[in-house]
Amino acid sequence: MRWIIDLIVRHRNICSLLLTVALSVAMIIAQPSTQASIVRYLSMTIFYPAYAVVSQVSSFTGVYSENKRLRQELAELSTQIQVLRDQSAENMRLRGLVGFSEHTLYTLTPVRVVARDPSYFYKSVLVSGGASQGVGMYMPIVGEHGAVGKVSQVMGNMSMIQLLRDPSSRASVMVNRSRAVGILQTDNARDFFVRLRSHEDAQAGDTIVTSGLGGIYPKGLTVGVVEKIDDKSNLLFKRAYIDFSVDFDKLEELFVMRLPPQWAAQRAELDSVKMEK
Amino acid sequence: MTNTALKWAGWFLLCVVLQSTLVPQLAVMSVKPDLLLIALFYFSVKMGMMPGAFVGFFLGLGQDLFSPELLGQNALAKSLTGFALGLFNERVVRLDPIMRGALLVAAFILNDTAIMLVHLIKAGGGGGAGTIITEIFVVTLPRALYSLVFAAIPFVWINVVKPPRLVD
Repeated sequence: MRWIIDLIVRHRNICSLLLTVALSVAMIIAQPSTQASIVRYLSMTIFYPAYAVVSQVSSFTGVYSENKRLRQELAELSTQIQVLRDQSAENMRLRGLVGFSEHTLYTLTPVRVVARDPSYFYKSVLVSGGASQGVGMYMPIVGEHGAVGKVSQVMGNMSMIQLLRDPSSRASVMVNRSRAVGILQTDNARDFFVRLRSHEDAQAGDTIVTSGLGGIYPKGLTVGVVEKIDDKSNLLFKRAYIDFSVDFDKLEELFVMRLPPQWAAQRAELDSVKMEK
Repeated sequence: MTNTALKWAGWFLLCVVLQSTLVPQLAVMSVKPDLLLIALFYFSVKMGMMPGAFVGFFLGLGQDLFSPELLGQNALAKSLTGFALGLFNERVVRLDPIMRGALLVAAFILNDTAIMLVHLIKAGGGGGAGTIITEIFVVTLPRALYSLVFAAIPFVWINVVKPPRLVD
Protein backbone atom coordinates (compact mmCIF):
# COMPACT_ATOMS: atom_id res chain seq x y z
CA MET A 1 0.00 0.00 0.00
CA ARG A 2 2.80 2.37 0.92
CA TRP A 3 4.53 1.95 -2.42
CA ILE A 4 1.36 3.09 -4.18
CA ILE A 5 1.32 6.29 -2.14
CA ASP A 6 5.04 6.79 -2.81
CA LEU A 7 4.47 6.26 -6.52
CA ILE A 8 1.61 8.79 -6.55
CA VAL A 9 3.65 11.35 -4.62
CA ARG A 10 6.65 10.88 -6.90
CA HIS A 11 4.55 11.25 -10.06
CA ARG A 12 2.00 13.66 -8.63
CA ASN A 13 1.91 15.87 -11.71
CA ILE A 14 1.01 13.05 -14.08
CA CYS A 15 -1.34 11.55 -11.51
CA SER A 16 -3.20 14.86 -11.16
CA LEU A 17 -3.61 15.06 -14.92
CA LEU A 18 -4.79 11.45 -15.15
CA LEU A 19 -7.25 11.98 -12.33
CA THR A 20 -8.79 15.13 -13.82
CA VAL A 21 -8.90 13.61 -17.31
CA ALA A 22 -10.47 10.42 -15.96
CA LEU A 23 -13.12 12.38 -14.06
CA SER A 24 -13.85 14.52 -17.11
CA VAL A 25 -14.14 11.51 -19.43
CA ALA A 26 -16.37 9.74 -16.90
CA MET A 27 -18.68 12.74 -16.92
CA ILE A 28 -18.63 12.98 -20.72
CA ILE A 29 -19.61 9.33 -21.24
CA ALA A 30 -22.08 9.17 -18.33
CA GLN A 31 -25.76 8.57 -18.98
CA PRO A 32 -27.78 11.78 -19.45
CA SER A 33 -29.70 11.10 -16.23
CA THR A 34 -26.42 10.74 -14.29
CA GLN A 35 -25.08 13.92 -15.89
CA ALA A 36 -28.24 15.77 -14.91
CA SER A 37 -28.01 14.62 -11.29
CA ILE A 38 -24.32 15.62 -11.09
CA VAL A 39 -25.14 19.05 -12.48
CA ARG A 40 -28.09 19.47 -10.15
CA TYR A 41 -26.01 18.54 -7.10
CA LEU A 42 -23.07 20.79 -7.99
CA SER A 43 -25.34 23.66 -9.03
CA MET A 44 -27.35 23.66 -5.85
CA THR A 45 -24.43 23.29 -3.49
CA ILE A 46 -21.45 25.17 -4.88
CA PHE A 47 -21.79 27.40 -7.88
CA TYR A 48 -25.16 29.13 -8.15
CA PRO A 49 -25.45 30.61 -4.65
CA ALA A 50 -22.27 32.59 -5.39
CA TYR A 51 -23.53 33.56 -8.84
CA ALA A 52 -26.89 34.66 -7.48
CA VAL A 53 -25.45 36.86 -4.73
CA VAL A 54 -23.05 38.64 -7.06
CA SER A 55 -25.60 39.08 -9.84
CA GLN A 56 -28.07 40.63 -7.39
CA VAL A 57 -25.45 43.24 -6.51
CA SER A 58 -24.53 43.89 -10.13
CA SER A 59 -28.20 44.19 -11.13
CA PHE A 60 -28.47 47.45 -9.14
CA THR A 61 -26.10 49.21 -11.51
CA GLY A 62 -27.91 51.10 -14.23
CA VAL A 63 -31.27 51.03 -12.46
CA TYR A 64 -31.91 54.72 -13.17
CA SER A 65 -31.32 54.53 -16.93
CA GLU A 66 -33.24 51.27 -17.10
CA ASN A 67 -36.16 52.87 -15.27
CA LYS A 68 -36.18 55.78 -17.70
CA ARG A 69 -36.12 53.43 -20.69
CA LEU A 70 -38.90 51.29 -19.24
CA ARG A 71 -41.10 54.33 -18.61
CA GLN A 72 -40.73 55.33 -22.23
CA GLU A 73 -41.50 51.80 -23.38
CA LEU A 74 -44.50 51.69 -21.07
CA ALA A 75 -45.92 54.83 -22.64
CA GLU A 76 -45.42 53.44 -26.14
CA LEU A 77 -46.83 50.04 -25.25
CA SER A 78 -49.90 51.50 -23.55
CA THR A 79 -50.95 53.13 -26.79
CA GLN A 80 -50.18 49.97 -28.74
CA ILE A 81 -52.21 47.88 -26.30
CA GLN A 82 -55.26 50.08 -26.87
CA VAL A 83 -54.98 49.57 -30.62
CA LEU A 84 -54.43 45.83 -30.18
CA ARG A 85 -57.43 45.52 -27.86
CA ASP A 86 -59.66 46.94 -30.55
CA GLN A 87 -58.13 44.60 -33.13
CA SER A 88 -58.41 41.63 -30.77
CA ALA A 89 -62.10 42.32 -30.20
CA GLU A 90 -62.61 42.55 -33.93
CA ASN A 91 -60.60 39.36 -34.45
CA MET A 92 -62.71 37.47 -31.90
CA ARG A 93 -65.91 38.60 -33.56
CA LEU A 94 -64.61 37.46 -36.95
CA ARG A 95 -63.34 34.12 -35.57
CA GLY A 96 -66.76 33.55 -34.07
CA LEU A 97 -68.33 34.22 -37.45
CA VAL A 98 -66.21 31.56 -39.22
CA GLY A 99 -66.45 29.06 -36.33
CA PHE A 100 -62.84 29.14 -35.10
CA SER A 101 -62.14 28.60 -31.41
CA GLU A 102 -60.79 31.53 -29.41
CA HIS A 103 -57.07 32.02 -28.89
CA THR A 104 -55.84 31.26 -25.42
CA LEU A 105 -53.88 34.12 -23.87
CA TYR A 106 -50.63 32.92 -22.36
CA THR A 107 -49.70 33.74 -18.80
CA LEU A 108 -46.24 35.28 -18.65
CA THR A 109 -44.01 35.17 -15.60
CA PRO A 110 -41.24 37.79 -15.65
CA VAL A 111 -37.76 36.55 -14.77
CA ARG A 112 -34.38 38.24 -14.66
CA VAL A 113 -31.14 36.81 -16.04
CA VAL A 114 -28.78 36.30 -13.10
CA ALA A 115 -25.90 34.54 -14.88
CA ARG A 116 -24.79 33.78 -18.37
CA ASP A 117 -22.94 30.79 -19.67
CA PRO A 118 -19.29 31.90 -19.57
CA SER A 119 -18.20 29.45 -22.25
CA TYR A 120 -18.02 30.39 -25.91
CA PHE A 121 -19.50 27.35 -27.56
CA TYR A 122 -22.64 26.50 -25.61
CA LYS A 123 -25.38 28.86 -24.74
CA SER A 124 -27.61 28.94 -21.72
CA VAL A 125 -28.54 31.38 -18.98
CA LEU A 126 -29.68 31.15 -15.40
CA VAL A 127 -32.80 33.12 -14.47
CA SER A 128 -34.32 34.18 -11.17
CA GLY A 129 -37.52 32.18 -11.28
CA GLY A 130 -38.08 28.53 -10.44
CA ALA A 131 -40.61 25.98 -9.29
CA SER A 132 -41.80 28.34 -6.53
CA GLN A 133 -42.90 30.86 -9.17
CA GLY A 134 -44.64 28.17 -11.23
CA VAL A 135 -41.87 27.67 -13.77
CA GLY A 136 -41.83 24.15 -15.18
CA MET A 137 -39.61 22.08 -17.44
CA TYR A 138 -39.73 22.83 -21.18
CA MET A 139 -41.76 26.02 -20.78
CA PRO A 140 -40.91 28.45 -23.60
CA ILE A 141 -39.07 31.69 -22.83
CA VAL A 142 -39.68 34.89 -24.74
CA GLY A 143 -38.14 38.33 -24.75
CA GLU A 144 -39.42 41.60 -26.13
CA HIS A 145 -38.20 40.67 -29.63
CA GLY A 146 -39.33 37.04 -29.79
CA ALA A 147 -38.50 33.48 -28.78
CA VAL A 148 -35.41 33.05 -26.62
CA GLY A 149 -35.34 29.39 -25.57
CA LYS A 150 -36.87 26.87 -23.22
CA VAL A 151 -36.52 25.86 -19.58
CA SER A 152 -34.05 23.00 -19.35
CA GLN A 153 -33.68 22.69 -15.60
CA VAL A 154 -35.83 23.89 -12.72
CA MET A 155 -34.72 24.53 -9.15
CA GLY A 156 -36.55 26.13 -6.25
CA ASN A 157 -36.06 29.78 -7.14
CA MET A 158 -33.91 29.53 -10.27
CA SER A 159 -34.11 27.92 -13.66
CA MET A 160 -31.69 27.13 -16.44
CA ILE A 161 -32.72 28.32 -19.89
CA GLN A 162 -31.45 26.54 -22.97
CA LEU A 163 -31.22 29.24 -25.61
CA LEU A 164 -32.30 28.75 -29.21
CA ARG A 165 -28.65 29.45 -30.06
CA ASP A 166 -27.52 26.32 -28.21
CA PRO A 167 -26.31 23.85 -30.87
CA SER A 168 -28.09 20.96 -29.16
CA SER A 169 -31.39 22.86 -29.16
CA ARG A 170 -33.82 21.96 -31.92
CA ALA A 171 -36.87 24.06 -32.67
CA SER A 172 -39.47 23.59 -35.36
CA VAL A 173 -39.85 26.86 -37.26
CA MET A 174 -41.46 28.09 -40.42
CA VAL A 175 -41.22 30.88 -42.94
CA ASN A 176 -44.01 33.26 -42.00
CA ARG A 177 -44.82 34.26 -45.57
CA SER A 178 -44.79 30.87 -47.33
CA ARG A 179 -45.51 28.66 -44.24
CA ALA A 180 -42.61 26.33 -45.24
CA VAL A 181 -41.63 24.35 -42.14
CA GLY A 182 -38.14 23.22 -41.09
CA ILE A 183 -35.89 22.62 -38.11
CA LEU A 184 -33.54 25.27 -36.78
CA GLN A 185 -30.01 23.81 -37.09
CA THR A 186 -26.35 24.72 -37.05
CA ASP A 187 -23.09 23.13 -38.14
CA ASN A 188 -20.72 25.32 -36.17
CA ALA A 189 -22.69 26.88 -33.28
CA ARG A 190 -22.42 30.25 -35.03
CA ASP A 191 -24.42 30.21 -38.26
CA PHE A 192 -27.98 28.96 -37.85
CA PHE A 193 -30.16 27.86 -40.73
CA VAL A 194 -33.47 26.24 -41.54
CA ARG A 195 -33.23 23.28 -43.89
CA LEU A 196 -36.03 23.48 -46.44
CA ARG A 197 -36.89 21.38 -49.46
CA SER A 198 -35.49 22.97 -52.60
CA HIS A 199 -38.91 23.78 -54.08
CA GLU A 200 -40.15 25.56 -50.95
CA ASP A 201 -40.41 29.30 -51.06
CA ALA A 202 -38.06 31.36 -48.89
CA GLN A 203 -36.09 34.48 -49.62
CA ALA A 204 -33.87 36.94 -47.82
CA GLY A 205 -35.87 39.21 -45.56
CA ASP A 206 -38.57 36.65 -44.76
CA THR A 207 -39.52 36.40 -41.11
CA ILE A 208 -39.00 33.05 -39.39
CA VAL A 209 -41.47 32.13 -36.66
CA THR A 210 -42.04 29.07 -34.51
CA SER A 211 -44.29 26.52 -36.19
CA GLY A 212 -45.95 25.13 -33.07
CA LEU A 213 -45.12 21.59 -34.23
CA GLY A 214 -42.43 20.66 -31.73
CA GLY A 215 -44.84 20.69 -28.82
CA ILE A 216 -42.85 23.23 -26.82
CA TYR A 217 -43.01 26.62 -28.56
CA PRO A 218 -46.46 27.92 -29.50
CA LYS A 219 -47.06 28.90 -33.09
CA GLY A 220 -46.03 32.34 -34.29
CA LEU A 221 -43.23 33.46 -31.98
CA THR A 222 -40.68 35.49 -33.93
CA VAL A 223 -37.32 33.75 -34.23
CA GLY A 224 -35.48 35.86 -36.78
CA VAL A 225 -35.15 37.01 -40.35
CA VAL A 226 -33.75 35.11 -43.34
CA GLU A 227 -30.33 36.57 -44.07
CA LYS A 228 -29.41 34.54 -47.16
CA ILE A 229 -30.37 31.39 -49.01
CA ASP A 230 -27.87 28.66 -49.88
CA ASP A 231 -29.34 26.41 -52.57
CA LYS A 232 -26.08 25.48 -54.30
CA SER A 233 -24.65 22.82 -51.98
CA ASN A 234 -27.55 20.35 -52.17
CA LEU A 235 -30.03 19.55 -54.94
CA LEU A 236 -32.82 18.35 -52.67
CA PHE A 237 -32.55 20.84 -49.85
CA LYS A 238 -31.66 24.46 -49.40
CA ARG A 239 -30.58 26.34 -46.35
CA ALA A 240 -32.16 29.58 -45.18
CA TYR A 241 -29.57 31.19 -42.92
CA ILE A 242 -31.20 33.31 -40.26
CA ASP A 243 -30.34 36.35 -38.22
CA PHE A 244 -31.92 36.00 -34.77
CA SER A 245 -34.28 38.77 -33.73
CA VAL A 246 -33.10 38.44 -30.14
CA ASP A 247 -29.63 39.65 -29.17
CA PHE A 248 -28.54 36.70 -27.05
CA ASP A 249 -25.53 38.59 -25.70
CA LYS A 250 -27.72 41.22 -24.08
CA LEU A 251 -30.49 39.28 -22.38
CA GLU A 252 -31.76 40.88 -19.18
CA GLU A 253 -35.49 40.60 -18.57
CA LEU A 254 -37.30 37.58 -19.98
CA PHE A 255 -40.73 36.03 -19.67
CA VAL A 256 -41.63 32.41 -19.02
CA MET A 257 -44.73 31.37 -20.93
CA ARG A 258 -46.70 29.27 -18.46
CA LEU A 259 -47.41 26.72 -21.12
CA PRO A 260 -46.60 23.09 -20.43
CA PRO A 261 -45.43 21.11 -23.49
CA GLN A 262 -48.27 19.83 -25.64
CA TRP A 263 -47.11 16.26 -25.16
CA ALA A 264 -47.33 16.57 -21.35
CA ALA A 265 -50.96 15.41 -21.36
CA GLN A 266 -50.18 12.33 -23.46
CA ARG A 267 -47.18 11.56 -21.29
CA ALA A 268 -49.25 11.83 -18.10
CA GLU A 269 -51.80 9.48 -19.65
CA LEU A 270 -49.08 6.99 -20.59
CA ASP A 271 -47.65 7.19 -17.08
CA SER A 272 -51.07 6.50 -15.58
CA VAL A 273 -51.48 3.46 -17.87
CA LYS A 274 -48.12 2.14 -16.72
CA MET A 275 -49.11 2.69 -13.08
CA GLU A 276 -52.35 0.75 -13.61
CA LYS A 277 -50.45 -2.18 -15.14
CA MET B 1 -0.26 29.43 1.90
CA THR B 2 -3.86 30.06 2.96
CA ASN B 3 -3.53 33.72 2.00
CA THR B 4 -2.28 32.78 -1.47
CA ALA B 5 -5.10 30.29 -1.96
CA LEU B 6 -7.70 32.85 -0.86
CA LYS B 7 -6.17 35.50 -3.10
CA TRP B 8 -6.33 33.22 -6.14
CA ALA B 9 -9.85 32.08 -5.25
CA GLY B 10 -10.87 35.74 -5.15
CA TRP B 11 -9.32 36.40 -8.54
CA PHE B 12 -11.05 33.38 -10.08
CA LEU B 13 -14.39 34.39 -8.58
CA LEU B 14 -13.95 37.91 -9.92
CA CYS B 15 -13.14 36.53 -13.38
CA VAL B 16 -16.22 34.27 -13.35
CA VAL B 17 -18.42 37.18 -12.35
CA LEU B 18 -16.94 39.56 -14.92
CA GLN B 19 -17.12 36.90 -17.62
CA SER B 20 -20.84 36.44 -16.96
CA THR B 21 -21.75 40.08 -16.49
CA LEU B 22 -19.35 42.59 -18.06
CA VAL B 23 -17.61 40.66 -20.83
CA PRO B 24 -20.75 40.16 -23.01
CA GLN B 25 -20.93 43.99 -23.24
CA LEU B 26 -17.35 44.07 -24.56
CA ALA B 27 -18.05 41.75 -27.50
CA VAL B 28 -16.71 43.04 -30.81
CA MET B 29 -18.41 41.26 -33.73
CA SER B 30 -19.37 38.45 -31.32
CA VAL B 31 -15.71 38.02 -30.28
CA LYS B 32 -15.39 38.06 -26.51
CA PRO B 33 -12.30 37.78 -24.32
CA ASP B 34 -12.04 34.72 -22.08
CA LEU B 35 -11.07 35.94 -18.62
CA LEU B 36 -11.20 32.45 -17.13
CA LEU B 37 -8.53 31.20 -19.49
CA ILE B 38 -6.42 34.28 -18.81
CA ALA B 39 -6.70 33.65 -15.06
CA LEU B 40 -5.86 29.99 -15.58
CA PHE B 41 -2.84 31.03 -17.65
CA TYR B 42 -1.41 33.25 -14.89
CA PHE B 43 -2.20 30.68 -12.22
CA SER B 44 -0.65 27.70 -14.01
CA VAL B 45 2.48 29.58 -15.06
CA LYS B 46 2.91 30.69 -11.45
CA MET B 47 1.95 27.47 -9.67
CA GLY B 48 2.85 24.61 -11.99
CA MET B 49 1.30 21.51 -13.51
CA MET B 50 -0.64 19.87 -10.68
CA PRO B 51 -2.42 23.00 -9.40
CA GLY B 52 -2.98 24.04 -13.03
CA ALA B 53 -4.69 20.75 -13.86
CA PHE B 54 -6.93 20.80 -10.76
CA VAL B 55 -7.91 24.46 -11.02
CA GLY B 56 -8.49 24.06 -14.76
CA PHE B 57 -10.72 21.08 -14.02
CA PHE B 58 -12.88 23.00 -11.55
CA LEU B 59 -13.09 26.12 -13.74
CA GLY B 60 -14.15 23.97 -16.68
CA LEU B 61 -16.64 22.12 -14.52
CA GLY B 62 -18.16 25.46 -13.53
CA GLN B 63 -18.64 26.28 -17.21
CA ASP B 64 -20.05 22.81 -17.93
CA LEU B 65 -22.83 23.31 -15.40
CA PHE B 66 -24.51 25.61 -17.91
CA SER B 67 -24.80 22.78 -20.43
CA PRO B 68 -25.68 19.57 -18.57
CA GLU B 69 -25.67 17.44 -21.72
CA LEU B 70 -22.09 18.53 -22.47
CA LEU B 71 -20.82 17.90 -18.94
CA GLY B 72 -17.09 17.21 -18.77
CA GLN B 73 -15.97 18.85 -22.04
CA ASN B 74 -14.77 22.13 -20.60
CA ALA B 75 -13.44 20.34 -17.51
CA LEU B 76 -11.32 18.10 -19.75
CA ALA B 77 -10.15 20.96 -21.98
CA LYS B 78 -9.27 23.29 -19.14
CA SER B 79 -7.49 20.63 -17.07
CA LEU B 80 -5.36 19.73 -20.11
CA THR B 81 -4.70 23.42 -20.75
CA GLY B 82 -3.86 24.11 -17.09
CA PHE B 83 -1.48 21.16 -17.03
CA ALA B 84 0.21 22.17 -20.30
CA LEU B 85 0.63 25.76 -19.11
CA GLY B 86 2.12 24.44 -15.88
CA LEU B 87 4.97 22.97 -17.92
CA PHE B 88 6.09 26.59 -18.38
CA ASN B 89 6.19 27.27 -14.66
CA GLU B 90 8.11 30.51 -14.16
CA ARG B 91 10.27 28.83 -11.53
CA VAL B 92 11.59 26.56 -14.28
CA VAL B 93 11.27 28.52 -17.52
CA ARG B 94 11.98 32.22 -17.96
CA LEU B 95 9.30 33.78 -20.17
CA ASP B 96 9.62 37.15 -21.89
CA PRO B 97 6.43 39.09 -22.78
CA ILE B 98 6.36 37.83 -26.38
CA MET B 99 6.69 34.23 -25.24
CA ARG B 100 3.90 34.78 -22.76
CA GLY B 101 1.65 36.13 -25.49
CA ALA B 102 2.44 33.19 -27.76
CA LEU B 103 1.82 30.79 -24.90
CA LEU B 104 -1.57 32.32 -24.17
CA VAL B 105 -2.59 32.00 -27.84
CA ALA B 106 -1.40 28.37 -27.79
CA ALA B 107 -3.47 27.79 -24.65
CA PHE B 108 -6.58 29.06 -26.43
CA ILE B 109 -5.89 26.77 -29.38
CA LEU B 110 -5.34 23.75 -27.12
CA ASN B 111 -8.48 24.49 -25.10
CA ASP B 112 -10.74 24.94 -28.12
CA THR B 113 -9.24 22.01 -30.01
CA ALA B 114 -9.90 19.71 -27.06
CA ILE B 115 -13.51 20.90 -26.81
CA MET B 116 -14.10 20.51 -30.53
CA LEU B 117 -12.48 17.06 -30.62
CA VAL B 118 -14.73 15.80 -27.85
CA HIS B 119 -17.71 17.39 -29.53
CA LEU B 120 -16.87 15.78 -32.86
CA ILE B 121 -16.25 12.37 -31.29
CA LYS B 122 -19.53 12.54 -29.37
CA ALA B 123 -21.48 13.77 -32.38
CA GLY B 124 -19.82 11.17 -34.61
CA GLY B 125 -19.66 13.75 -37.38
CA GLY B 126 -17.16 13.85 -40.20
CA GLY B 127 -14.83 16.56 -41.45
CA GLY B 128 -12.90 16.59 -38.16
CA ALA B 129 -9.53 18.18 -38.96
CA GLY B 130 -10.98 20.62 -41.50
CA THR B 131 -13.70 21.78 -39.11
CA ILE B 132 -11.22 22.22 -36.27
CA ILE B 133 -8.74 24.21 -38.37
CA THR B 134 -11.52 26.44 -39.70
CA GLU B 135 -12.86 27.04 -36.21
CA ILE B 136 -9.38 27.87 -34.94
CA PHE B 137 -8.93 30.55 -37.58
CA VAL B 138 -12.47 31.92 -37.43
CA VAL B 139 -13.22 31.69 -33.71
CA THR B 140 -10.22 30.84 -31.58
CA LEU B 141 -7.55 33.17 -32.96
CA PRO B 142 -9.69 36.34 -32.89
CA ARG B 143 -10.76 35.45 -29.35
CA ALA B 144 -7.18 34.76 -28.29
CA LEU B 145 -5.91 38.01 -29.80
CA TYR B 146 -8.68 40.03 -28.18
CA SER B 147 -7.96 38.29 -24.87
CA LEU B 148 -4.29 39.25 -25.16
CA VAL B 149 -5.29 42.87 -24.61
CA PHE B 150 -6.90 41.94 -21.31
CA ALA B 151 -4.08 39.59 -20.37
CA ALA B 152 -1.65 42.48 -20.75
CA ILE B 153 -3.38 44.46 -17.97
CA PRO B 154 -2.23 42.27 -15.04
CA PHE B 155 1.18 41.87 -16.71
CA VAL B 156 1.66 45.66 -16.89
CA TRP B 157 0.34 46.02 -13.35
CA ILE B 158 2.74 43.45 -11.95
CA ASN B 159 5.84 44.45 -13.90
CA VAL B 160 5.47 48.20 -14.49
CA VAL B 161 3.08 49.72 -11.97
CA LYS B 162 4.07 47.52 -9.03
CA PRO B 163 7.40 45.92 -9.96
CA PRO B 164 8.71 43.26 -7.55
CA ARG B 165 11.25 44.59 -5.06
CA LEU B 166 14.72 43.23 -5.58
CA VAL B 167 16.26 41.44 -2.64
CA ASP B 168 19.80 42.59 -1.78
